[in-house]
Amino acid sequence: MIKAQGIVKKYSGRMVLDGIDFTAERKKITYVFGTSGGGKSTLLKILIGALKPDAGAVYFHETDITKLQGRELDPFRKKIGMLFQQGALLNSFTVGENIALPMREHTVLDDNIISIMVKMKLELVGLRDFEHLLPGQLSGGMRKRVALARALALDPEVVFFDEPTSGLDPIMASVITKLIADLNRLLGITCIVVTHAVEEAMRIADKIVILYMGKVLAEGTPQEIRSSASPIVQQFITGSPDGPISFHASSKDFREDLIVG
Amino acid sequence: MKNLFGYIGRAFITFLQDLSSVLYLFRDTVVQSVILVSDRKKRKQARLLAYVDEIGTQSLLLVLTVSALFGIALTVLISFQLKEIGGYNYIPGFVAMAVFREMAPLITAVIIAGRVGASFTARIGTMKVSEEILALETMAINPVRFLVVQRFIGLVLALPALTLLAGFTAVFGSFLFGSTRLGIRPDTYLRETLDVLIFRDVYSGLVKAAVFAVVIAMIGCYRGLVVAGGAEDVGRSTMRAVVSSTLTIIVLDTVMTAAFYG
Repeated sequence: MIKAQGIVKKYSGRMVLDGIDFTAERKKITYVFGTSGGGKSTLLKILIGALKPDAGAVYFHETDITKLQGRELDPFRKKIGMLFQQGALLNSFTVGENIALPMREHTVLDDNIISIMVKMKLELVGLRDFEHLLPGQLSGGMRKRVALARALALDPEVVFFDEPTSGLDPIMASVITKLIADLNRLLGITCIVVTHAVEEAMRIADKIVILYMGKVLAEGTPQEIRSSASPIVQQFITGSPDGPISFHASSKDFREDLIVG
Repeated sequence: MKNLFGYIGRAFITFLQDLSSVLYLFRDTVVQSVILVSDRKKRKQARLLAYVDEIGTQSLLLVLTVSALFGIALTVLISFQLKEIGGYNYIPGFVAMAVFREMAPLITAVIIAGRVGASFTARIGTMKVSEEILALETMAINPVRFLVVQRFIGLVLALPALTLLAGFTAVFGSFLFGSTRLGIRPDTYLRETLDVLIFRDVYSGLVKAAVFAVVIAMIGCYRGLVVAGGAEDVGRSTMRAVVSSTLTIIVLDTVMTAAFYG
C-alpha cells in the first residue's frame, strides 16, 4: 500500500533519516515509533508528501509521490487523511464547518447532504452535539477527535496519525487508541501511526517499526518485537532509563568539554 | 568596512529573493482569483464581500478621523502663508488637489498597512505555526486560494472606497475650518473646489489606492506564509510586513505622482 524505500533526509548537514525502508500493508495498522527527535515526524511529513526527501522514494499504489510537484499531489491527498498532533483545526471555523470543508472543496454534494455527512462523521468520534462550537472551546482530546472526523471526511484509504495520544489523559488516550482500532477493523482503513506510546502500539498494531538514529532498528509484529533479543529494542519497549540508549544527547566527552571550555 | 559591504550585499540578495517570491505569490493570487470568481459555487462559499465589510468597518472610523484632522491641519498650515497676500480663496483648490492626488491615498494606505496588513500576517502566520496551513495542503486545498484570494480581493475593493471617503472627509474638515475660522464663504469654498478639482485628480488617487491595496495584501500575506518557527517569528514577520509595505507604498507613491503629474 505505502512503501518507503531508502529515505534519506538531512537538516543542515545533520542526518535525520538515513536510508529508511518500510512497508505499510493495506488494511493494517502500522505503528512507527522511536525516541523524541528521532525523525518520526520528518518521516511522516515525507510520507504525506509535505516534505521532499534528499533521496529515496515513497510508493502509493505504484506511484512515487516524491516525484510529484504541487498540484500533482492532489489526487493522492484526496485519498489520505492526516491527524495532526495538535489537531490543526481551522480556529475561525466551527467544528461542523471544519469537517465539511474537504467535502465542500472536493465534492459536488449539496449543503443538506454535507450536513448529514458531518453528523455521521461526528457520531463516529462521539461528538455529535458539538457541531456548532469553535475549536477553541474544546479540550485537547475533543479537538483531536474532531480533527480525526475531518481526516475521515472524504473516506480516505489511509489515515496518518501524528502522536495521536500525546498530551492526553489515560482515558482519552485509550479512547483514541480504540478509535484507531475501530476505524481499521470496521471501515478497513489503513492506519499509519507515529508515536512514542509503546503500550498502545503493542495492543493494537499489526506491525511495529522502530526508528533509532535515523535507521530502522527493528520491525515485526508486536510479538516479534517483544521477543527481540536486541537490548536496544528491549530498552525501547520497557522504557528503562538504563541501557544502550544513553540519556546524554551531546556527543562531546564531558571531561574534555569542562577542561577545554 | 568589509562587514558593511557584506551586510548591504546580503540585504540586497534577501530583498531580491523576497521580491521574486512576492511576485510569484501575486501571479498565483491573480490566477486563483480568476478561478474563484468564475466558479459560482466557490464564489458563494468564499464570502468575498465579508472581507470588504471586515476591512472597511474595522478601519472606517480611524481613517475618517485622521483625514478630517489632516484636512484641518493642512488648512491651518497654508493659511499662515496665504494670509499675508490675502489669498484665502486659493485654499479650497489647493486642499482639494493635495488631498485627492496625494494625501488621501497615502495616509489611508499607511493606516491600512499598519492595521489590516499586519493582521493578515499575524493571522496567516499563526495558522502556519499551528500547522493549519499544512493541514489545508494535506486536504488538497490550495492555501493561496483559501487564505490569500479573499483578502486580496477584499482589500482591492475596500481601499479605494476608503480612500475616496477619506478624501471627502479631509475636504469637509478643511471646509468647516475655512468657513468658520477663516471666514471663507461656504458657496465660495464649494465653487473654488469644483473649479480646481478635475476628475483626473480623483481617478489618479483611486489608481494609487488600488496599487497600494495590492502591495499591502501581497506583502501581508507573504510574510504570514513564510513564518517558520514559533510565536516570536509571527511577531517579527508582522513588524517586517508593516515596515516593508509602508516603505513600498511611499516609494511607489513618489513614482506614480511623478508619472501622473511630472
